[in-house]
Order: sequence, then structure tokens, then C-alpha cells
Amino acid sequence: MLGLLWLIPVIPLIGFILLAIIGPRLSRTAVAIIGVGSVGISAILAILVAISFISSPPAGNAFTQTLWTWINVTNFNPGISFYLDSLSMIMVLVVTFVGFVIHLYSAEHMLHQEGYSRFFAYMNLFVGSMLILVLANNLLLLYLGWEGVGLCSYLLIGFWYTNPANGRAARKAFIVTRVGDAAMAIGLFLLFNNLATLNIQDVMQRAAQTWQIGSPLAVTAAALLLGGAVGKSAQLPLQTWLPDAMAGPSPVSALIHAATMVTAGVYLIARTHVLFSLAPSVQLAVAIVGAATLLLAGFSALTQWDIKRVLAYSTISQIGYMFLALGVGAWSAAIFHFMTHAFFKALLFLAAGVVIDAMNDEHNMFKMGGLRTQLPLTFWTFLIGSSALSALPLITSGFYSKDLILFDAYASPSGSTWLWLAGLVGAFLTSIYTFRMVFLTFFGKPKTKAVYQPGSRINLALIVLAAFALLIGFLETPSFLGNINVLGNFLSASLPATSILPQRAGSEGILELVSAVISLVGIYLAYLLFLRVPKTTEAMVQSPVGAVLHRYWFSGWGFDWLYDTVLVRPFVWMANSNKNDFIDLLYKGIIRLNEALHRVLSNTENGLVRWYATGIAIGAVIIIAIVVFL
Amino acid sequence: MTAADVYAILPLIVLGGASVVVLLGIAVHRSHSLTLILTLTGLVAAFLLLPLVSIEAPRQVTPLLVIDSYSIFFSGLIIAASFIITVLSYSYLSQQRGHREEFYLFLLLATLGSVVLVASTHFASFFLGLEVLSVSLYTLIAYSRKEYGIEAGVKYLILAGLSSAFLLFGMALVYSELGTMKLAQIPTSLSNPSSGVSQVFVLGGLALIVVGIGFKLALVPFHLWTPDVYQGAPAPVTAFVATISKGAMFALLLRYFTVVNIHNYPSLYLAFVVIAIASMFIGNLLGLLQTKLKRLLAYSSISHLGYLLVAFLASGPLAAVAVAFYLVTYFVTTLGAFGLITIMSNSDRDAEDPEDYRGLFWRKPWIAGSFTAMLLSLAGVPLTAGFVGKFYLVTAGIGSALWLLVIVLVVTSGIGLYYYLRVVVAMFASLPKGSTIAPAMRISPHFTGALAVTILVLLLFWLGIYPTPILRLIESMVTGFS
Repeated sequence: MLGLLWLIPVIPLIGFILLAIIGPRLSRTAVAIIGVGSVGISAILAILVAISFISSPPAGNAFTQTLWTWINVTNFNPGISFYLDSLSMIMVLVVTFVGFVIHLYSAEHMLHQEGYSRFFAYMNLFVGSMLILVLANNLLLLYLGWEGVGLCSYLLIGFWYTNPANGRAARKAFIVTRVGDAAMAIGLFLLFNNLATLNIQDVMQRAAQTWQIGSPLAVTAAALLLGGAVGKSAQLPLQTWLPDAMAGPSPVSALIHAATMVTAGVYLIARTHVLFSLAPSVQLAVAIVGAATLLLAGFSALTQWDIKRVLAYSTISQIGYMFLALGVGAWSAAIFHFMTHAFFKALLFLAAGVVIDAMNDEHNMFKMGGLRTQLPLTFWTFLIGSSALSALPLITSGFYSKDLILFDAYASPSGSTWLWLAGLVGAFLTSIYTFRMVFLTFFGKPKTKAVYQPGSRINLALIVLAAFALLIGFLETPSFLGNINVLGNFLSASLPATSILPQRAGSEGILELVSAVISLVGIYLAYLLFLRVPKTTEAMVQSPVGAVLHRYWFSGWGFDWLYDTVLVRPFVWMANSNKNDFIDLLYKGIIRLNEALHRVLSNTENGLVRWYATGIAIGAVIIIAIVVFL
Repeated sequence: MTAADVYAILPLIVLGGASVVVLLGIAVHRSHSLTLILTLTGLVAAFLLLPLVSIEAPRQVTPLLVIDSYSIFFSGLIIAASFIITVLSYSYLSQQRGHREEFYLFLLLATLGSVVLVASTHFASFFLGLEVLSVSLYTLIAYSRKEYGIEAGVKYLILAGLSSAFLLFGMALVYSELGTMKLAQIPTSLSNPSSGVSQVFVLGGLALIVVGIGFKLALVPFHLWTPDVYQGAPAPVTAFVATISKGAMFALLLRYFTVVNIHNYPSLYLAFVVIAIASMFIGNLLGLLQTKLKRLLAYSSISHLGYLLVAFLASGPLAAVAVAFYLVTYFVTTLGAFGLITIMSNSDRDAEDPEDYRGLFWRKPWIAGSFTAMLLSLAGVPLTAGFVGKFYLVTAGIGSALWLLVIVLVVTSGIGLYYYLRVVVAMFASLPKGSTIAPAMRISPHFTGALAVTILVLLLFWLGIYPTPILRLIESMVTGFS
């Protein structure tokens, strides 16, 4: 069964090629069958491979499948080979399964849009690239997948390309992530230059052997990889692209900008965790970046009126939690939160897509209300997703994964009370902004009538995701609530276990209780502020302090403004004022030189045979002169 | 000559026999499709015999020819390319008036000449192969009576005659000093101090041979004929001149100057360095602002042969692998590019003007897409065959520390990128409003031509993503060679 591994990424790629070549000529049904079916087959294969992997684990708990070696010269021999261990297994399962459900949803959601086959072609290409990314055995192949998903993200943000704003958002996402990608590429060069291999396992092994803990090379390499990770995962300081990325269709936001691609940074750090363990300062930076991002994004989410932007900031914030977990060495907690987040955030985006459709393409939550009765199924599933996001105690998956992170942030040797506190404040903010969204959209008086009811495929997708958003948390529960460790045990083959300071180990129950209370208080506060006394809230926002804060938070703490002022404008200004400087003269000179040489040489091609014959004779004389006289 | 000898040269005999059959076939019954089938049958039979013959390899057949894994590999490459060109010619000639059948006769003869060249170990077989190839090409180039056709044929006739004279004189000089025309005996006679050989005359003779070879390969400074001939010849013939004729000659060059170890003669080596650098620079510079596609590809081929010399001048087994692999990628890409020009051409003229391809993507997305792939491969962009080929060239060059040549290769590749991309940009540009649609965009490609081009596009990506099988084949070929 494991031998089928290569088919998992290949089948969506075949789907992409088919759709790209014959898609425009196919009926919408055929397009949907190819587009959804390819990912579906991939998901089934992933489950089969997983069953075989778990029931009879391969030697060393990892399976490598080499298809061929791309280029083989001296020690540069990147293979087209896939590496399956428990970490990549979980990633593959989530990507294919969530991907399949979202494709199923899209088959109906996008039905009346232009470019139906183009949409599915991009989506299939995305799934294929993402699977290459997580299965890659060497960093070069990983980078291919990494750039592939970036390309698909760009193409899909700008899917409705006739609106220039969407094109701008797509370019912004591409350029901002490129900053991180450039750092990552340099990191790969550095690793190859020093360790003479790109095979991920070999890199980790050799790094551990050759580099001391905290040695400058290890720190530099880890920092550069972190640069790539923060770009892709929209963390500080490269988080600004994600809110704008919501210009794409809702399924795209669900799949790419919530469930899978944006967590590639988390995967990268977990995959190369040995390197980060060798660079404690960088690992601390990971934790701080995560903590700061989750707070900043949480505040911003409070003030948005666009339902998708709330979800976007919430995604940034939740990935902040994953970074926080990675930073304190709680590797499996980060992956656990990635899993639960993939399900409930995809669910929220898909449900929000239904709401937006039902409101006739209205994104503003303040123009919605009372949808509870008009879209009952969407309401209930959205509520389940929101509860998971707010970590509603005991019954939701978000509770188990987030509280594991909070406990580890407090109790692991590299954790601290401050990191825990940041996470706790973030959790409080999360439940406020989440239920603000629920109350504004689904409660209160209906302001607009729903013009659309979702069909069976959308409902099925929502129900499946809602079920997982509730149940998946029970893979890993705290010691006093059943002490299930299925996921942690499974991941222990690829990721080291989280170490817990003995003196802090006993506080798990208290911490859980505190965060449970915080979550409930947050929900109640949201109820008060946005349902009971919205006027008071309005007044708070209008007050001088409130207005300033609101403006800052609404604009994402002014990062866009900051980058615009500090980087973009000066750069454009310099470029404009230096258009004709002497450095340019050099380049223009090269162009002129080449053109002049071209003209001179073109004169030799004058079509005259006698001249051509003379050319041969002169050439012969020169060659003989060189050979005989030198 | 024993029966085993005859067996070893069966592919050549089959090619020769096929041309006789085609000749007689035309005399009996003039039919385009029948001639095509006879030609293809001959080519396929010769190709299928190669693996059988390789059991006998290596085998010296008379002093003239050697059948070893090296010659078998290049024979296979030449015959496969000839097959593609035959298919393309069918689609090209279907649009033409007048007699079409003799075309295939010359095609088979030219292929035979090329196969003789790659198996040659003696000046006599060198010259015979070259002339069989050249004489067939004179006719082929002037075959269609379109604009420039006859002119190009006559130009090629005169200049090739001139270069053959240089070549013959070089051979005569070498023979007069060493008393042998057998390739294998040249280095031994040359290094024997007691024989009283004048090195100057031998080296001078070798230099004149290089002139003759350089003309065929269109290396600077013997390149001036290239654009005119490329432009005037029918597109499939141009493809033949660009690929088979040059590939066979390069295989011969590599064989001759591996036996006569070029590293032992610094001045000869220097001459090749000068030729390589000049070809890379001048080829790319000439292409820079060229808008006619066939002329552009002519300049491109000058620079590509210059790149090939970099690996030729490197030493070690990797160099021969790099040369052979690069030739394979160059064949696929160049055949693809000319194949696309072929299927866009009509009875009046070949499609090569800027208006033929401006905005082509919006009319014929498949042709434009395939052409883009070919141009990107010529430019050496990753995931295409051209990238892997160039990667091996650079690796071979660096392995022998030929820094100057490698730097020139990289810089001139940068210059070359400009004119390849210019064509790509033009193909994706929007059609000017109110302009009439160029005839090339209205043509519906002939089935056979479209099939051939599709196969070439697939090969292009296959070699770029999964080059291992071809590389293994080439590596086994090289171990048999040096």
C-alpha cells in the first residue's frame, strides 16, 4: 500500500493538466467530476496509505519513496522522492481530506461563476503542490512545492481579475511572501554550502553533528528559514498580505488562506526542528513572534466589519498560537492545533461564504442580522466552528488544542508566564471577536432577507467539517480529562516529546480552568457589547481614546501605512528620482553597446557570396596563424 | 569483408537500399503517400537494426568505419530525427505544388551520409559521408521554388564547395607528412620523434580540417552563410541543416579530437577556445534585434554550437556525456521550433515574419504554447530539456576549470534570453485592432505535423523533468567510447 504514495500528489496534478488542456471545452459537470474527483481519489489513497502505515509501520517509522534522481553531479543529486513519516502523514491527511470537502463545496459554490474550469485547475494544482511540499524528501523539492502553492495563491486571490483591486491584492500577497521566500532560498544555499546535502533528514543529522548549540551558522540558517516561515504563514512582520488575500473566492480563503498553505511555515519549522533546537535564540524569536502576532491580530479582528477580514485576522492569530507552541518546543501541540484549526477555520470560511451569497455579496456584518432562522443549518455549523475557535470548554476541538499550547507555553523549560499570559489574553480576544461575529450575523433583527439557500453539496461539506471540528479534539486530552495521547504518541516518532518542568506540571488543571472561564467570559462580554447594549459599545468606539484605538486596530495596527511610508514610498520615490542616474547609465550603456555590436555585426550578413567566401578565407588564415605561430 | 562486417553495417545498407527503393518506386508509380511510407519503413528498419547490431559492437568494418556504441547512439539519434523531419516534410509538402516525391530520396541520402560521418575513422569515409550529405542538401535547400530558395541553394553549394576544398587540402597535408589517413594512426605517427615529421604541416593540416568542420557547424568565423540558407530553405530542410547535419559533424569532431588528444596541442586548443568564445558572443549578438524567426534560429544555433564547444574542450567522461546529452536536447528543441514553423507555413511562404506570430496565443494557443516551451528550452529555463543540457555543459566546464569559457557561456546566455523572450512576448501581445489576420494564423495544422510537434513537446518536458533514462544510455555509450 505504501507504494501508492507517489500517486497522492500526482493525481491532483493530472487533474490540473486535464482541466488546463480540455477544461474549457468540458461541461460544468465534467469539470466538477475531474476537479473534485481527483482530490477525492487522493484523499482515499491517503487514508489507505495511512492505514497501512499505522498497521504495519515501516522500519524507522518512516518510508522513503524515490521515483528518480533529477540531476546527479558530484554531491548535488536532488531526487524526486517523497518522505512519509507521522508528521507528513498528518499533513497529507488534512490537506487531502479538507481539500476534498472544500472542492465538493466549491462545485456548487462556484457553479455560476465564469472560469469554472480555470478555478478547479488552479485548485487542483494547489493541492498537488501542497502535497509535494509536505511530502518532499529534500529541500529543493520542498521549495518547488513552496513556490507552487505561492503561485496558486496568487492566481486564486486574483481569480476575479477584471477588478483591479483583486489584482493588487494578489500582487501584494505575492510580493510580501517573496520577501520571506528570498530569505528561505538563501537559507537553503547556506545549508547546502555547509552541509553538502539537501536531503532533509541528512541535513538534520549533519547539522546536529557539525554545529554546536547556538553556533552562528546554525542561528543564521534557522533565522533564514524562519524568514520564509513568517512570510508564508503571515506572521509578524510579514502578516500584512493575508487580510487583503480575502479578495479571492471563499473556498480559496478556506483552503489556502486558512487550512493549508498558510500553515506551511508551521510545517517547515516542525520539519526542521533539529535546526531550531540548535539555535535557541531563534526558537525564542519564534515564540515571541507567535505571541506578538496572536495579540496584534486579535485586537485587529475586534474592529473589522467585513466578515471575511475578521476570519483572516483570526487565522493570523491562530497561526500565532502554533508559532508560540513551536517556539517553546511543543512541536506536537503545534501540529495538533494545526489539525483542529484546519477543520474549524475551513468550516467558518465556508459558512461565511454561504452567508455572503445569501446576502447578495454583502460582506458587512452590520448589514446582516437574524440569519439564524433563515439559514438554520449554516447557523448551527457556523456556531460549532465559532465555539471551536473560541475554545468552548469540553465539547470543542479548539479547547483541547489551544489549552495544550497554553499549558506548554507555561510549563515547558523554554516557556514563561509572560508567553502564557499573552496566549490567555489572545484567547479572551478570540472569544470576543468570534461571538461578536456570531451575534452580529445571526442574531438580532433581520436587516436583509436571505436570497439564496445552499444546496446539498454545500450542506454536506458543512456538516462533515462541523463533525470533525467537534470530534477531532479527542485525539489528545489533558491528564485529568481522560488522558488520551493518540496524536502525541503517533507524532513521537518524528517529533521529540514536549518536556515539562516538574514544578509546573501540576498546574495543568488550574490553567485549563482559567482558560475555560476566560473563554466563557469573552463570549458573555461579546453578548453584552454587541447584542444587549450595542449603543454603549458605539459610544466607547466614538470616545477619543476608543476612536484612536479603533483606527489603529482596524487598519491592522497601521502596518500597511508603516510599510507604505517607510518602504514603498521611499523606494518608489528613489526609483523615480534616480531613473536617469549614473548607475542606470551603466546598464543603458550595456544595452547600447550590445545594440551597436549587433548593428556592426549585422553588416557582415549582407547576402553577398563573395563576401561570405572571403569571411571563410580570413577565418582560415586566423585559425592557421593561431595554430602554427602560437 | 566478412559476414559479420556486413551484419555490423546493416543499418547503412538498409538506408542505402531504402533510397534505391524510393528511387525506383518514383519511376514506377508517383505517389506522395507511398513514397512517405517507403521512406519511413526504411528509417524504422534501420533504427530497429541498431540494437541488434550493437551486439557485434565494437567492430572495425574495413579501415573506413567503426561500429561502436558511440556511433550506434548517434546513428539512432540521427535516424530518429530524420523520422521526425520526414513526417514534418509530409505535412509541409502536402501544401506544395509540383513534384514532391524526390524530396524523400534526398532526405534518405542525406541521412545515410550523416550516419557514415558518425562512424568514420578514416579521412576517406569522412569525405565521402560529408559529400553525400552536402550534395543532398544542395538539392533539398533549393527544392521549393519560393522566395530565396534557389539563392540559398546556390550559396550553400559555392560556400560548401569552398570549405570542402579547405578540408581536402588539410587532409592532404596531414597525409603528406604522416603517410596515413587512418584516424587511429595519426597520434602515434605524430608523437614518434624519430620519424622526422614536421609538426607545423600536420597542425596546419588539422587547422584546415577544423575550417571545413567549422563551416558545417556554422561556427564563427565560418558562420556567415547560416541565416541566408536557413531563411531560404524549406522549414523541414532548415531543421535538417540545423540538427542532423550539425549533430553528425559534432559527433565526428568529438571522436577525431578525442583520438588526436586535443589537450596535447595547446595552439589547436587555443584556436578552439577562440572559436567557442566568438561563436557564443557573435551568435547571440546577431540574434539580438532579429525579427525573422528562421534567421533568429540561425543565430541561435551558432551560439548553441559555441556552448557545445565548452563541453568539448572540457576533459573527462562528464564532458562527452554533456556533449551527447546537450545534442539530444538541442535536437528535440530545434526540431520542435522548426516543426512549428512548418505546420504554420503555407504554399506561398514560410511563416517567419513578426506579423505571423504577433498575438498568436489568442488565435492558436497550442501552437503559441508549444513555441514558448521550445524558446524557453533554447534559453535554458528549468523544467525544460534545455536547462538540464546547459546544466551539464556548465558542470563539465567547471569540472575542468574552464572559467573563462563558463563565464562567457553564462553572460551570452543572458544576452540570448533577450531575443527568445522577445518572441514569447510578441506571441502573447494583444492583436492590434483592425489589423488583418496573418495567413499563418488561419491555417489548420496538418495532422501528421501536429502529432510530431506534440511528441517533441512531451519529449522536451520529459527530458527536463526525468532525464535519467537518456543519461544512463549516454553514460553507457561513453564508457564504450573512451
